[in-house]
Amino acid sequence: MVQNHHRGCHHQDHQEIVRENKEKRPKFFINDHVDILIEILKRLDCRSLCVAASVCRLWCTIARNDSLWENLCFRHVSPPPSSLRSVVLALGGYKRLYMGCVRPVQSRLGRVRRASWARDEVQLSLSLFCVDYYERLGGGSSSNGRLVGESSPSSLMFLCKPVNV
Amino acid sequence: MKREHQQICGAAAAGGYGSSSGSKGESSSTNKGKLWGEDRDSGDMDELLGVLGYKVRSSDMADVAKKLEQLEMVMGTAQEGGISHLASDTVHYNPSDLSSWVQSMLTEFNSPATSNLDPVFPNSDSNSAKPRQQQIVGSNQSQVYNDDSEYDLRAIPGVAAYPQPKRIKTSGNDSSSSPTESSARPVVLVDLQEAGVQLVHTLMACAEAVQQENLKLADALVKHIGLLAASQAGAMRKVATCFAEALARRIYGVYPQDSLHPSYTDVLQMHFYETCPYLKFAHFTANQAILEAFATAKKVHVIDFGLKQGMQWPALMQALALRPDGPPAFRLTGIGPPQPDNTDALQQVGWKLAQLAETIGVEFEFRGFIANSLADIEPDMLGIRPPEVETLAVNSIFELHRLFAQPGVIEKVLCSIKTMKPKILTIVEEEANHNSPVFVDRFNEALHYYSSFFDSLEGSGVATPSQDLVMSELYLGRQICNVVACEGVERVERHETLAQWRTRMETSGFSPVHLGSNAYKQASMLLALFAGVDGYRVEENDGCLMLGWHTRPLIATSAWQLATAE
Repeated sequence: MVQNHHRGCHHQDHQEIVRENKEKRPKFFINDHVDILIEILKRLDCRSLCVAASVCRLWCTIARNDSLWENLCFRHVSPPPSSLRSVVLALGGYKRLYMGCVRPVQSRLGRVRRASWARDEVQLSLSLFCVDYYERLGGGSSSNGRLVGESSPSSLMFLCKPVNV
Repeated sequence: MKREHQQICGAAAAGGYGSSSGSKGESSSTNKGKLWGEDRDSGDMDELLGVLGYKVRSSDMADVAKKLEQLEMVMGTAQEGGISHLASDTVHYNPSDLSSWVQSMLTEFNSPATSNLDPVFPNSDSNSAKPRQQQIVGSNQSQVYNDDSEYDLRAIPGVAAYPQPKRIKTSGNDSSSSPTESSARPVVLVDLQEAGVQLVHTLMACAEAVQQENLKLADALVKHIGLLAASQAGAMRKVATCFAEALARRIYGVYPQDSLHPSYTDVLQMHFYETCPYLKFAHFTANQAILEAFATAKKVHVIDFGLKQGMQWPALMQALALRPDGPPAFRLTGIGPPQPDNTDALQQVGWKLAQLAETIGVEFEFRGFIANSLADIEPDMLGIRPPEVETLAVNSIFELHRLFAQPGVIEKVLCSIKTMKPKILTIVEEEANHNSPVFVDRFNEALHYYSSFFDSLEGSGVATPSQDLVMSELYLGRQICNVVACEGVERVERHETLAQWRTRMETSGFSPVHLGSNAYKQASMLLALFAGVDGYRVEENDGCLMLGWHTRPLIATSAWQLATAE
């Protein structure tokens, strides 16, 4: 009896909670709480984030948000200078940076990585990213009767090739 | 004598079959016949030929090959109608006994004009089961044979072409006196396992011949190289083919072009940039040195001696943009060669860089200078501002070595650089000595250098031959052509080693700037990204960084400042 009373005052029985919620409040939909959702998605790794993007339209929109990818890029590194964001956004955004450079760099270097390299990896990725952007600028230079008429940027191709392990 | 797989090479009809291992390692040397000619009743038949229906003793292979060659020669030079009797009148006995059948063919040819032939030459066309090899070998001075100096491969040093040179000489064929009357057409046997070694020896012998102006021999050797190269695979074959072509150009005096459109060479270099890490390494390490020199400057100016596509500068600009206290004002002066169609390639590159600069928020200014040679650039043309106002860096990637083609030019350019008063001068050059006045030394050095280079391309993990790889090889092939085939002013690929550069720079009044550990780290990381990670090596050499393939350093980055600077 006493216990029941205790529970009644401080802890409600689990089933009672459910019943109460059903009666009093609506169910908790995560989609109603986008800020919580973002907080959660922010902490996911790349693969999970991509999977999350296929859950529903809202999640897809959130997952495409560049700031999530920013977190991914700099997860293991101390916060980058504030000027970085404008640069990266101008060059194509964090998602592109991550998918194109940071991820392959991290996976390739996984074997030989040392702890201190995390920052340098990001810097290297940034440099490669910038080079890639530059190549994609193409612009008027492809009209000069170049013998090989391709202007598709391929300075990052070496990152796409399978690694011979 | 060790067991060898023997491949008969150089005989038209032989086509490359090898004898079976049942041959017990008999050498090709025909005078072996002397030793065991009559005793062999049941010699081992070659298996491969046996499948085709021919019975040839493995021990006779060399001889049969030689005879086949002779036969072909003869048929080729016979007069019209001279061979028709072979089809109609001749009785062919037992063609599957290849050795004697060929012999009988030969006698058919030689019988009309046997006046000066050795009388022991067997004239019968019956089935002689054991041709008397020693006699044939000794005496074929038939007029049917042309001057065989081109096949005098005895010039090849060592055991390259003749596994047992001593025995050949004592075989009694001799015309060791004058190679132009080689009595017997020597059969060259290429041991598959040693073919690579032979290839290298042949290449070196050819270079030697070229140096001695023995062009006829060199020509023959070049053809032989082509043959040997075909038996190789991969990098070795490509290198050998490039060098053979370069040697052929030198022999025939067909110097390559420089008539290639510069944008074509740019395209080649772009593919080279993408396939392998050398250019990226060069750019990243030089950029790191420049970045460190620019540490806190508010205005910076970079002079690039070879702008090409400007691939080096985006990374530097990005690093400058992310400097803790904001980007400096960045000025770039690019120097490039004139374009045949008068398009302003430099301006287009400058425009692209300007777009990038605007995107990332760096104040940017570009100027392009078109010059045939770096010597034409005078420091006052460049609009250099005093060091207190603007920090200057001069950058040269694979450009300075071209200046050696004309005397005195390098000193002039280094002097100009000194008057510009740069904070730092970054130089990336190939790590090899391709500027020796002695052709053979140059050739050998280039052979080893480019072999390593091609090896690294091969090992870069590209599974199927891609266009990039082919272009990169072309890019290197042009360099090889230049080193080997050109002379004088046209030979611009005059590479020198880091040690030589060091001496030169120090005597010109520069002192070295050590590339720090940041550069080393970046370089190592960059290399780790490339698929062939196991082969590439970054080495630090007294403040300079070298990138190499396995144990061979291939390019070196160094940084310099004016000696009087503190």
